[in-house]
Amino acid sequence: MRSPAKDQVAFVGVGTTGFTRHGSRSALELGLEASTKAILDAGLTADDIDGVVAVGEPGAPSAPQLIAALGLDAVTHVSRPAPVVMNGITDAVAAVFSGACDHVLVCSAMLMLPWASRGAARDPFRSRVPSGSPGIPESIAMAPAYAAWAGRYLYETGASREVFGRVAVNSRTNAAANPLAVLRDPLTLDDYYAARMIREPQCMLDMDIAVDGADAFVLTTTERARDLPHTPVLVHAASLGLIGKNTEDQLPSLARHGQHVVVEALRAKSDLWIDDVDLFYPYDGFTNITVGWFENCGWCGYGEAEDFLRDNWVDDQARLLLRGRVPVNTHGGSLSEGGTRGTGHVREAVTQLRGAAGERQVDGASVALVTPGGFFFNSQGAVLRRDG
Amino acid sequence: MTNDTELSDADLVARLPHVHVEHHDAPHHRGWFDRRLLINRCGACGTWHHPPRPMCPACWSWDVEPTPVSGSGTVHLAMLLHQGPPAPDVDYSKGPHPVVTVDLDDAPGVRYTSTVVGVDPSEVVIGLAVELDWIERHGAPFPVFRRA
Repeated sequence: MRSPAKDQVAFVGVGTTGFTRHGSRSALELGLEASTKAILDAGLTADDIDGVVAVGEPGAPSAPQLIAALGLDAVTHVSRPAPVVMNGITDAVAAVFSGACDHVLVCSAMLMLPWASRGAARDPFRSRVPSGSPGIPESIAMAPAYAAWAGRYLYETGASREVFGRVAVNSRTNAAANPLAVLRDPLTLDDYYAARMIREPQCMLDMDIAVDGADAFVLTTTERARDLPHTPVLVHAASLGLIGKNTEDQLPSLARHGQHVVVEALRAKSDLWIDDVDLFYPYDGFTNITVGWFENCGWCGYGEAEDFLRDNWVDDQARLLLRGRVPVNTHGGSLSEGGTRGTGHVREAVTQLRGAAGERQVDGASVALVTPGGFFFNSQGAVLRRDG
Repeated sequence: MTNDTELSDADLVARLPHVHVEHHDAPHHRGWFDRRLLINRCGACGTWHHPPRPMCPACWSWDVEPTPVSGSGTVHLAMLLHQGPPAPDVDYSKGPHPVVTVDLDDAPGVRYTSTVVGVDPSEVVIGLAVELDWIERHGAPFPVFRRA
């Protein structure tokens, strides 16, 4: 598989608003705060940004709206990819690598939606945000698909819900050290078992937490990145992955779906794999997505995650360290930091690889595997590495 | 191709406010009003597919035929909604609402998603044999399953 863009494009700027469950700002306000922070973090100005990737979160500002609000001078590449995050990052990498633009801003602004949050439902300004809700109970389109397939996983493998509970507990433990995270109180497996069922077998703690907030990134060529303030974080390999039968209820099986396509592509493009990584950021919009990434990336085989997580659990830290050293979702993931649809995973990986994660910093971290997205139409991944 | 009731396109859309109907899946939803479950089958290669699409994904033939099936099958996916989208016949406060995805006996490779009526939610498990039934929703027939 060709990989001509390997290490040729780098993250140079990161900006975030942090996250809240009590939002009172518009998506444009959130997006502008994250975007300006990311551009300034990169040591750049409005005049340098000539590409804008405006992730199509419901209610989020369009690329032209961002360009106008930021007062950009001249822009030669725009796009509006659907969430999850890597749809925007792979587009940004392609745009920079091809020469469509030199410095590209990727902005993703999340709003709690009225159907998913009582607080959001009380905000009159959100009443016209397009709904992402499935219309009828008897549909497994979108979010409910994960509950349906979580049940299938338990049925096929004989695993217990402990496998999902450990994902939730690990996330919350790590979030305690992340000041951006909305859920930072410790969690135990007993708390997990006691949580309210939503879509049985999934309970509240199997689902990420709806938040308001925005993340933004600036990417440019690795050559230019080396003249900017921060240690560049290189996109070593990146891919999306879908199969034809990607409709949620028609997916042939858990044995081959989008995650498998991602892993095949990354393994073909990347010189680095799980033996080489210092950090692992599997998506956790739902806990069974994370379990899928453990198994499909090859940390363990299908149906083996319950034993694998137990064997790699550090009791006195109440969290995972894979093979005794690789932490998982050091920021707390979407389950605890906030449901950013993967922007949090990418931001934390870049922050760690820069060596700028403060008390969360993993010593000597130089390679991260980031695998956002679920099973159906947004499976995706990247290998990121610190320059040098 | 079907024993169409004389529902106009406008009437079909008006009578299914809870469903997004398009040109290429109108025959499937029109079948509900005859209490017939119609699944698309390719006239060229015989492959079944769902949800309805205008062209066969297996061979790209446009000769796809909405074909009646019995609706009998086996539960492949099962979950219990303790909360969820509203429907006039669903009361989450009285207990969880089962949602199942069923492997259809007559249409290999195709599944159909609905609820199971007439059983305790605890009996709704993967592997359960079911058959088709119909309820009324918003005054229109709606396909569901019951234990076979």
